[in-house]
Amino acid sequence: MTENRSLMRRLFEPKSLDHQAPASKVVTYGLLLIWSLVVLVPLYWVLITAFKNEGDVANGPFYLPFIDFQPKTDAWHFMLVENNTIGPYINSVVVALGSTFLAILVGSLAAYALVRIRFRVKLAMVAIFLILLVGVIVAVATFGIPWEIALAVAIALFVIALFTVGRRMKLSLGNSDVEFWIISNRIMPPIVAVLPIYIMFQQLALLDTQFALIATYMAVNLPIVVWLTRDFFAAIPIDLEESAQIDGASKLRVFFTIALPLVRSGLVATFLLVLILAWNEYLLALFLTNADAQTMPVLVSAQNTTRGPQWWNMSVLIVVMIAPVIIIATFLQKHIARGLLVGAVKG
Amino acid sequence: MRVTLSDIYKSFGMVEVVKGLDLEIADGEFLVLLGPSGCGKTTALRMVAGLESVTSGKISIGDRDVTEVLPKYRDVAMVFQSYALYPHMTVGRNIGYPLKLRGVPKAEQDVQIKAAAEQVHLGDYLDRFPRQLSGGQRQRVALARAIVRRPSVFLMDEPLSNLDAKLRSYMRAELKHLQSDLSTTTIYVTHDQIEAMTLAHRVAVMNRGVVQQIASPREIYDNPANLFVAGFIGSPPMNTLEGSIADGAFVAPEGKVRVGNYAPRDKVVFGFRPEDARIVDPSESDIRAKIYACELTGNETIVTCQMGESQVVVKMDKNYDMPSDTVVALSIAEEKMCLFDPESGDRIPRPA
Ligand SMILES: Nc1ncnc2c1ncn2[C@@H]1O[C@H](COP(=O)(O)OP(=O)(O)OP(=O)(O)O)[C@@H](O)[C@H]1O
Ligand SMILES: [Mg+2]
Repeated sequence: MTENRSLMRRLFEPKSLDHQAPASKVVTYGLLLIWSLVVLVPLYWVLITAFKNEGDVANGPFYLPFIDFQPKTDAWHFMLVENNTIGPYINSVVVALGSTFLAILVGSLAAYALVRIRFRVKLAMVAIFLILLVGVIVAVATFGIPWEIALAVAIALFVIALFTVGRRMKLSLGNSDVEFWIISNRIMPPIVAVLPIYIMFQQLALLDTQFALIATYMAVNLPIVVWLTRDFFAAIPIDLEESAQIDGASKLRVFFTIALPLVRSGLVATFLLVLILAWNEYLLALFLTNADAQTMPVLVSAQNTTRGPQWWNMSVLIVVMIAPVIIIATFLQKHIARGLLVGAVKG
Repeated sequence: MRVTLSDIYKSFGMVEVVKGLDLEIADGEFLVLLGPSGCGKTTALRMVAGLESVTSGKISIGDRDVTEVLPKYRDVAMVFQSYALYPHMTVGRNIGYPLKLRGVPKAEQDVQIKAAAEQVHLGDYLDRFPRQLSGGQRQRVALARAIVRRPSVFLMDEPLSNLDAKLRSYMRAELKHLQSDLSTTTIYVTHDQIEAMTLAHRVAVMNRGVVQQIASPREIYDNPANLFVAGFIGSPPMNTLEGSIADGAFVAPEGKVRVGNYAPRDKVVFGFRPEDARIVDPSESDIRAKIYACELTGNETIVTCQMGESQVVVKMDKNYDMPSDTVVALSIAEEKMCLFDPESGDRIPRPA
């Protein structure tokens, strides 16, 4: 059979089950090579640009350090010594880590609750809540009623409604509705809410603080965390949690000693994703900060000055920005996709 | 400790799954809940554990009403069909988890973990993870985790059903030994009658959410309370023939059997166990049958006979063989047979 295969067949059919046909091999590796170039060339370009000066960029392009241009550390000196880069860098670290940690904590608790507890939110009560909310705003904004009074009245009315109308209403929302509502918060780009967010922090005198960014990023990334982690929790066999309950654990204890360790790999992946989103966020940071709480993405774009983009300075910033992400991703990679659930149940 | 279930009902939405369950389990007793799939055994057990609420009724452990008590305060231990071992903990930490939750000091924990592991022959495996164990070993980890804290009650939901046949019979013996050693009240759910017969002090046979009979395995086998129990217990189960009672004899188209001084009845179901009948020459008995098939199982031969519309099964000696369609007769031990009311299915009591 094998010896008299035609040239075409030899090109397009694999020699055996463990092999790939030569033609498809060429195509596969060709595509992979092209994609690698697409990914790696910009990184290379940023790296060498960080070691150029204005002249090298203006007279270029130069491709190879030491060969067609001499690497210089002028830009590094300018950004790291003469300029305050450390401040925004610390801001970025604090904001990204803080908001991600909180989003994971709150989001995973929410996801767990949505998977394990059955909610029946009365539709009528949701409507009443919204009506009262609008009522409070109107009362305070247009009639000048003190907000404490308006809020107290609204809460009282809500409680009364809860025990009268709420009891009798049948129509209610289930867990999937709650989930959809949470996820729908992220369907809309967060920037549509930037004005109210801006005014809120302005009123609270919290503009240009790390706190404002942490709170906003946490809220914005919460739906992503809920959405991703709910499936991890749903995959845990319920037997494990029931067994833990009988063994003497409270619900919270079950969450922290059984559920959370079992979804660890998934949480690490989610953590990484949300961390990168927060680390790279630009638009909200642009609105909510101006000096003290400025983050790296804003500082990077600030290098686009009236004298034109300062590519060499920008490249320095980009290099120091992507370095920790690459390190973290490499470090956490082995924690992702570990088959922890094997052995939980039979088999 | 004594466990009492009084008049327990449980519905899931519109569906009533457990209907009026009354059980009184004595201290140290091994009670097996036996019944076909979907009859509500697991639901009943989960209500005792507190994993499921009751729709109505009362559950007590000892003298304490636990109907509304959270699982962790009931002082019961449960072995799940899936074992429910915590995959991220070693065997030792799995076994020690209930102790840790109870705030037992670390040194004492280690002693008790070791003792429990020894009891199930797992002393050398404390540092392994569940995924590194065989099915039988996992099963024993689950057992050790249940016994380590000396609960008032053991609850087991088909704990052996994921094991192969050989391991199952070995673990059955282990379980029985362990339970009599610890003499902890045990409720054990299964649909396997061999497990029920071999393990139980008393068996509660359930069907469609109702207990059909509670008695010792022997009593259940010899004196089934109704046709359901008669048909469910035994393999092959009890044979049944329809006919009537007249002049102290059961009369069917295929012949007559003397049954003693039962009152005459138009319709009755006559039941006998396959081992309580023998196939004899037509001259020795007047119950006619035709051989349908003979199956040698090793130590005995299962003979299926055609009697009118119905088939009956008789256990014979391993050397017995007879071609199909041979006309034979059955000799049935009079004192072993049971009569049932065909309408209600209930047993007709033997007259004094
Ligand atoms: N959470 C639930 N919601 C609705 N119906 C349920 C629920 N749990 C059990 N049921 C129903 O209750 C009935 C009894 O279930 P149960 O699990 O107690 O049966 P079982 O006797 O343990 O059966 P098996 O031997 O197959 O395990 C079944 O018909 C099942 O469909
Ligand atoms: Mg079951």
